[in-house]
Amino acid sequence: MTKLFKLSIFFSLAFTGLINFLNAEPFESTYTPLPSQNILIKNANIYDGEGNELLKTDLLIKDRKIAAIGNDLPVTDDFEVIDASGKWVTPGIIDIHSHMGVYPAPGVRTSSDGNEATSPVTADVWAEHSIWVQDPQYTLALSGGVTAFHILPGSANLIGGRGVTVKNLQRNTINSMKFPDAPHSLKMACGENPKRVYGNRQQAPSTRMGNIAGYRKAWIEAEAYLNRLNEYESKSDEAKEMGYKPTRDLELDTLAGVLRGEILVHNHCYRADEMASMIDVAKEFGYKITAFHHGVEAYKIADLLAENNICGALWADWWGFKHEAYDMVQANIAIVDQARNGTGCAIVHSDDAIGIQHLNQEASKALSAGLRAGFDITKARAMNWITSNPAKAAGIYDQTGSLKVGKNADVVIWSKNPFSVYALAETVFIDGALAYNRATNFFPSSDFDVGIISPTKNRTEQ
Amino acid sequence: MIGKKIHKFLIVSFGYALIVLSPNVFSETILIKNATIYDGNKNEPYEGNILIDGPVIKRVSSSDMQGDFIINASGKIVTPGLIATDTNIGIVEIGALSVTRDDSSEIYKIGFSIFDAFNPNSTLIPWNRSNGITSALTIPQNTSSPIGGLGSYFVLDGELSITGEKDMVMTGSVGGSSNHSRSETFAVIDDLLSFAKSINQKDLDTDADISELIDESPIAEFMELHPRDVRALFKLVNNDLPLVMKAHRASDLLKLVEMKKKYNLNMIIMGAQEAHLVKDIIAKNDIPLIINPINNIPGSFDELASNIKMASILEKEGIKLMFTAPRSHNFHLIRQGAGVAVAHGMSYEIAIKGLTSTPAKVFGLENRGEIKSGNYADIIIWDADPLEPSSMPEYVFINGENMNLTTRSTRLRDRYTSDPDKPNTYRD
Repeated sequence: MTKLFKLSIFFSLAFTGLINFLNAEPFESTYTPLPSQNILIKNANIYDGEGNELLKTDLLIKDRKIAAIGNDLPVTDDFEVIDASGKWVTPGIIDIHSHMGVYPAPGVRTSSDGNEATSPVTADVWAEHSIWVQDPQYTLALSGGVTAFHILPGSANLIGGRGVTVKNLQRNTINSMKFPDAPHSLKMACGENPKRVYGNRQQAPSTRMGNIAGYRKAWIEAEAYLNRLNEYESKSDEAKEMGYKPTRDLELDTLAGVLRGEILVHNHCYRADEMASMIDVAKEFGYKITAFHHGVEAYKIADLLAENNICGALWADWWGFKHEAYDMVQANIAIVDQARNGTGCAIVHSDDAIGIQHLNQEASKALSAGLRAGFDITKARAMNWITSNPAKAAGIYDQTGSLKVGKNADVVIWSKNPFSVYALAETVFIDGALAYNRATNFFPSSDFDVGIISPTKNRTEQ
Repeated sequence: MIGKKIHKFLIVSFGYALIVLSPNVFSETILIKNATIYDGNKNEPYEGNILIDGPVIKRVSSSDMQGDFIINASGKIVTPGLIATDTNIGIVEIGALSVTRDDSSEIYKIGFSIFDAFNPNSTLIPWNRSNGITSALTIPQNTSSPIGGLGSYFVLDGELSITGEKDMVMTGSVGGSSNHSRSETFAVIDDLLSFAKSINQKDLDTDADISELIDESPIAEFMELHPRDVRALFKLVNNDLPLVMKAHRASDLLKLVEMKKKYNLNMIIMGAQEAHLVKDIIAKNDIPLIINPINNIPGSFDELASNIKMASILEKEGIKLMFTAPRSHNFHLIRQGAGVAVAHGMSYEIAIKGLTSTPAKVFGLENRGEIKSGNYADIIIWDADPLEPSSMPEYVFINGENMNLTTRSTRLRDRYTSDPDKPNTYRD
């Protein structure tokens, strides 16, 4: 064997991994659920996350999955039976916009890791590598019925990096919290934030037109990169051995993943005109926008969103903290939901560690605003805004987000109708395992909470 | 349109704006019938009728009355107009747009007043009013002094002739800081108050006199105080001016209690996320609190003990509680916060008082905050439980006037839910 030939074998072996590098993800989920048991929840009032309300109905959890919904469901002696008479049952709540972990509590400089604000395009960074797993906020979200959430980088950059979806089961490593088989997302941001952050440094972008140029330049590079990859992959094995090997590029890996449809675009964007422009950018480069986030003006282009199958991940009532958030309409979520004969996709998101604990109340506000605007929307449908719709936008709807037979048993039992401010999540199951029980004070505590005020107590016991 | 415009005269005297309501010559009375009344005083609601005559409540009774206009409030909850105690209504239009912000000063540290900046045409006024807030304390950002910045009280009728009370509260804050010890902060507060105590009224006659005082006081000189600052300090220690101190950590709260006692201050503590750790001392010293009951986040190292049950724990000690809301612009979300407090054990009636009569009493807002004969008719008729964030007012009365509940937000909503065949810019 010549030296050269040896070298080429070495490279071709190395390349075997490289060829598939967009599929073979590092940092895979190592999630394992808590111990579970088979459970019959009896006589519950159910919002199933599919738009249905089922009164006095039983729900069967078996082998970590939703096994049946109905009445007089047969069970064996080994089932735990929970009488939920007068109570309400919903799927686990899902938040499509959280910065827990990347902006943990306490909010201090040393763990403020959500924005890699050193360059307007940082598609190479992954939120999961910033997440502090000991953030004491996860357990608070769990007390609000949240069983999964999507953590995004911040909005300082045009393209801020990859987001990740996690199970709300606090563990010591981020991989052990990652939602199995959930796709990555890509955070993009319109408007004031990127142009302010970089404009203040006398660098691009400093205007909205600079923003759009910035995205397009990035996608042009990504297209070229993807072409090089495709070209290489289409070659015969022999030709590959002899040919030029594209150098792996972390930033372009992510963008190419979007162009291949493997990574979902979540786009922070407030103004209607900018959202419309972003839809054009997506069409120009052949990618799909999964959801616009914040979208205070989404109601102005609700039909356009519905036609393009783009969700609006929105607040019930935040406004005025910046100019692009000035035109707030409380019926925003309802208008997006009802667009094009009710084919719109509306999501109530939090972007806030307090809001995530009360997404049911936020949905209630959004629903009541919709009713006042004259729409005919049921509570059962509004429940989709915080369950199945965010599950779809996170790419985990096949696994969770509604109480469909066969899906993961992510289930919340509420003390009252969850559209009331007085309703509390009493018990929360994740994958059929009890994760939270209000009555017995059963909940996870982060290491941060241990002995920090009084050495003999946990923080939450003060 | 029912209800009459009231005529107002603005009398400015010694820095305070006093409002005199003219006698209502052409009186048209409004009768709210069969309401479920939480009047802000009694512990239980009662069924009754409310007669509004001009700007005031003439009579509240369960017996029949006559009125020129009658509103049947059968099955509806009626409360006093809500009073928000921690707002920047009228002085901040858009948060991240400094040209629309009037809540800070570079020159004045203690006597900075926001009163002259108040914009009755701000969009925040109709918005918060349509959600049940009829009057508010508007307070500045913290200044570079730990005590400093004067807040004013405004009735949210949106009239250019302002109804309110100027500079009726002093603000301040203490806590963790990136550049100095809180021990320094407490020393500065102590020095400032001790300086204030040493001043006699006659020393305040002229700015020149005050400048002399400043020259003689190391802390006043070091902080480069202005005569306006000194006058405000004097009022604080001599006129029982309410002092709203923002603080969280249990040890800081105790230190503030000491300050209150030492200088006999009319102190209110805001935030107070760890108040439940020192609840007995706060109760014993009768310090009212402005809390955000929905905030259970250990948001800083000063707030580690944050607890969703705080409101109910403090209420049981008999501590007077008022509410603040966490987000800019939506100050009416104090209702949601109060609802969450009730969900976690606070009594409903005390929560309603925290939104109405408690702030009126604590801040000395005369004839506001309760539904009773002789009070200004600031009244809300709710479409459902006011502590449910999904509820909205059906009627809002301010000074007896039936307010229009249209907002810029509802206008935009209507613009995009009607006339779809017209281009949006040609719609109403």
